[in-house]
Amino acid sequence: MSRYGLKTIAFAAMQVVGALLATAANAQDYPTKPVTLIVPWPAGGSTDISMRAIADSASKVLGQPIVIDNKAGGGGTVGPATMAAAAKPDGYTISQIPITVFRLPLMQEVSWDPAKDFTYIVHLTGYTFGVTTSAESQFKSWKDVVEFAKANPGKVTYATPGTGTSLHVGMEQIAAMSGIKLTQVPFKGGAETNAAVLGQHTMLQADSTGWRPLVDAGKLRLLMVWTGARSPNYPDVPTLKELGYPMVYDSPFGIAGPKGMDPKIVAKLHDAFKKAVEDPAVIATLAKYDMVPNYKNTDDYKKFVVEVTESERKVIDTLGLAKK
Amino acid sequence: MRDQTNVKLRLSNSELWGGLIGLALGGFVIWSGLKLKLGTINDPGSGYVLFYTGILMCVFAGSIIISAITEGGPTLASRWENVRWSKPLLVIACLAAFSFALEPLGFLLSSIPLLLLLLRLIDPVRWTLAIPIAVLVPSGMWWVLKRLLLIQLPSGLFGIG
Amino acid sequence: MDTLVNVAHGFGVALLPINLLYCFIGVFIGTLVGVLPGIGPISAMSLLLPVTLSGTPESGIIMMAGIYYGSMYGGSTTSILVNIPGEAASVVTCIDGHQMAKQGRAGPALGISAFGSFIAGTFALVALMLVAPKLASIAIAFGPAEYFSLMVLGLVVLTFLTQGSMPKALLMACIGVVLGLIGLDSITAQPRLTFGRMELIDGIGLVPVVMGLFGVAEVLLNTEQAIKRDIINAKITHLLPTKADWQASTGPVARGTLLGFLLGILPGGGAVVASFASYALEKRLSKTPERFGHGAIEGVAGPESANNAAAGGAFIPLMTLGIPPNVVMALLLGAFVIHGLQPGPLLITQNPGLFWGIVASMYIGNVMLLILNLPMIGMWVQLLKLPYNILFPLIILFTILGVYCSSNNVFDVYVMIAFGIIGYFMRKLGYEPAPLVLAFVLGPMLENNLRKSLILSQGDLWTFVQRPISAACLSLALVLLIAPLLPALRKKRELVALDEGA
Repeated sequence: MSRYGLKTIAFAAMQVVGALLATAANAQDYPTKPVTLIVPWPAGGSTDISMRAIADSASKVLGQPIVIDNKAGGGGTVGPATMAAAAKPDGYTISQIPITVFRLPLMQEVSWDPAKDFTYIVHLTGYTFGVTTSAESQFKSWKDVVEFAKANPGKVTYATPGTGTSLHVGMEQIAAMSGIKLTQVPFKGGAETNAAVLGQHTMLQADSTGWRPLVDAGKLRLLMVWTGARSPNYPDVPTLKELGYPMVYDSPFGIAGPKGMDPKIVAKLHDAFKKAVEDPAVIATLAKYDMVPNYKNTDDYKKFVVEVTESERKVIDTLGLAKK
Repeated sequence: MRDQTNVKLRLSNSELWGGLIGLALGGFVIWSGLKLKLGTINDPGSGYVLFYTGILMCVFAGSIIISAITEGGPTLASRWENVRWSKPLLVIACLAAFSFALEPLGFLLSSIPLLLLLLRLIDPVRWTLAIPIAVLVPSGMWWVLKRLLLIQLPSGLFGIG
Repeated sequence: MDTLVNVAHGFGVALLPINLLYCFIGVFIGTLVGVLPGIGPISAMSLLLPVTLSGTPESGIIMMAGIYYGSMYGGSTTSILVNIPGEAASVVTCIDGHQMAKQGRAGPALGISAFGSFIAGTFALVALMLVAPKLASIAIAFGPAEYFSLMVLGLVVLTFLTQGSMPKALLMACIGVVLGLIGLDSITAQPRLTFGRMELIDGIGLVPVVMGLFGVAEVLLNTEQAIKRDIINAKITHLLPTKADWQASTGPVARGTLLGFLLGILPGGGAVVASFASYALEKRLSKTPERFGHGAIEGVAGPESANNAAAGGAFIPLMTLGIPPNVVMALLLGAFVIHGLQPGPLLITQNPGLFWGIVASMYIGNVMLLILNLPMIGMWVQLLKLPYNILFPLIILFTILGVYCSSNNVFDVYVMIAFGIIGYFMRKLGYEPAPLVLAFVLGPMLENNLRKSLILSQGDLWTFVQRPISAACLSLALVLLIAPLLPALRKKRELVALDEGA
């Protein structure tokens, strides 16, 4: 065995032991124990993996591990709702806040109030959405889908990561503009919608870029993207605007804790996550899913929440999805 | 001749009681299902599966009750015959006390007395052995979890642990 | 031929000293967290994920994979020794494994589960090497309707888990489904059956339910026995399985392996269904089904092989499609991506060294696990010699710790104590906990998939019969339900005939 080999082994062993023995650097100040970050999507999707990369980088700044807790369901609201209801505002439980947290209360009775039940911390990034179909499907382009749907109302099914997600609302907007009727099937997240469209259980999939490896391998066909400009990775795929739907959907998201958090703790978390989205390793992971950092500080994020809620209210009203 | 431990329509029939509890639970589940809205068959609501599960529960509980009445069942007392029924009761009491003490006192201050009580109550272990076990095992586990696995156990009002 | 070259290349990667070390650390931690009930591979892997980022992708992923299959080996130990299943997949091992331990056959039970795990794990790897890409289609052939029917089949299996009255088992299963549905609805995010309690919004955890119903209830039942000291008085005869044990176990191990591997490919409760299904299958095939539930070695060998083979099968959808079938696989996917690799259809061709290296390392890891686990059997058996009046309090302490560690939540400890008390009274009245646990796991998946399939089919119930896989599952379920009734019916008819004759 070479000396190099021995050294690497010793180094690796030390790292493992070090990680196991690592304790809080200063017992007085926050954080003194691991922080739980709720990701309200199934493990393995684009949100989950990008949040893991961000959390890993932020944990180095905080000096404590950030443990990801996947609480999927309800279009990404089960996790934040659970946190708002049950967690203490001590900074040890925080959650990713998808846009559904603001939208779902407009559509139905829910257990949380987005204006009151959260302490918003920092805004991080947004998604690239797209609509795909199986490579074996009859649909070669979006035009085929519209034609088929006109002849067979309600027969076209699409998988989304949940009712009330941007994907659901966006598809309904598209359907309303084209004068067609589509049927939504709500799943819990990307891993499930990938399997559903790949196995042709649903005809279409509307989801964030978790479909990328499958599209690259030619197993799925990308019909459109919902960004403002064409994706550099898929220059041949049209945007919503080019298809005649004047919309852009990127569903930006950030993180928040339960209401009533100490501003000092909020500031610490904000700084750690700000550094994380500036970390080149994080930017590289985000780029794999066609995501770019979209940083907003605590105050801007709060303002943004109010704006989004208002614009969502208009969309929900026009689509007739508002709660009675 | 009639077996005194196997009775039919009597209040002491344990099978009957099991069935009645099941029926009550089933009724409650049906009611919760209805309250949560059944939805329609092409878009089932939150209460859909609960409602039908509740109906099934009532059916099964009903068949338990019927067989309890027609075939009879052991009496409640016979289930606890020839056993030291006081021991599980004591353990349950200890566990209940422990669950009230856990949050205010913290893990160490509540689990050491729990262990000591259990060691003395289920066939007494001699004090010279019981005390060291009751003190060392929880403290050892606490140390391993806190230092090696970074898991924080509840520390309680006094912040011990 | 290509495969052979690739395998050789894979072993080249796996046998690098640094990778061997990571593999060993992985399986060692895996064994540890598997034995400690409550602390599962998920928490260990989440904590260690950052550590693996500093090395090469191969070594990091080799270690993570080691933790996963290592924990599958350890999971059965507490089930057999003290009737506390560490995870859902080893619930079924409790039924016969703990009975064997009570009869002084803890050694053979632990031995057969270690050997069974090794054989199943090895087979799963060979299959992974040879047919992984071809089997990928199984993972996506299951849509909502197919899952619903599979869950129905899984629930029917529970009728084989019970020794007592069928209505009681079915009532328990319904209660299990209802308990599983507590919390926010996964489709509409509405709270269900939470009674306004904040803690229930998240639902009830599996670990506290299982540990209460099995671990705590078992202790309560045992304390009331004054003279009969099952655990302590039984003489420990053999440490390793005898020739007769092996003869009885060969079939179950082989069938369990195959069943586990195929069901493991399915995203969702594959491993759990596989272990329960294997138990049911062995009981059905056995010439002496009455031995099951009273320490039949087949009831340990089959399910233990099934859940280890399922762990191997679970790699297929991840490696070939990039679809993680369970949370552990999703953590591995995260590790891949953070290392700059994207599992998907192109992974094997683009990174052959990585894929084959990981597979080869799992083979080496399995051998390490066997060597690590066999000497430990003697040690575990010694543990049973502890006087019961010391052992019982310790079991209670460990269940409390395990439950707390699995969620960092005091409320779960209360849930466990409550279920311990409920479990005690249930068992006193002749209601068994295993059907409840199986339904608790499958119930939410059953509900979610039923609702999705009805949305997909526009409320048409024929969808479950028209789709071939779904129809096959349902007809198998029907056969399983009716088959045991036939002899009984015939007997009754004969009796009626006799009555008329007389």
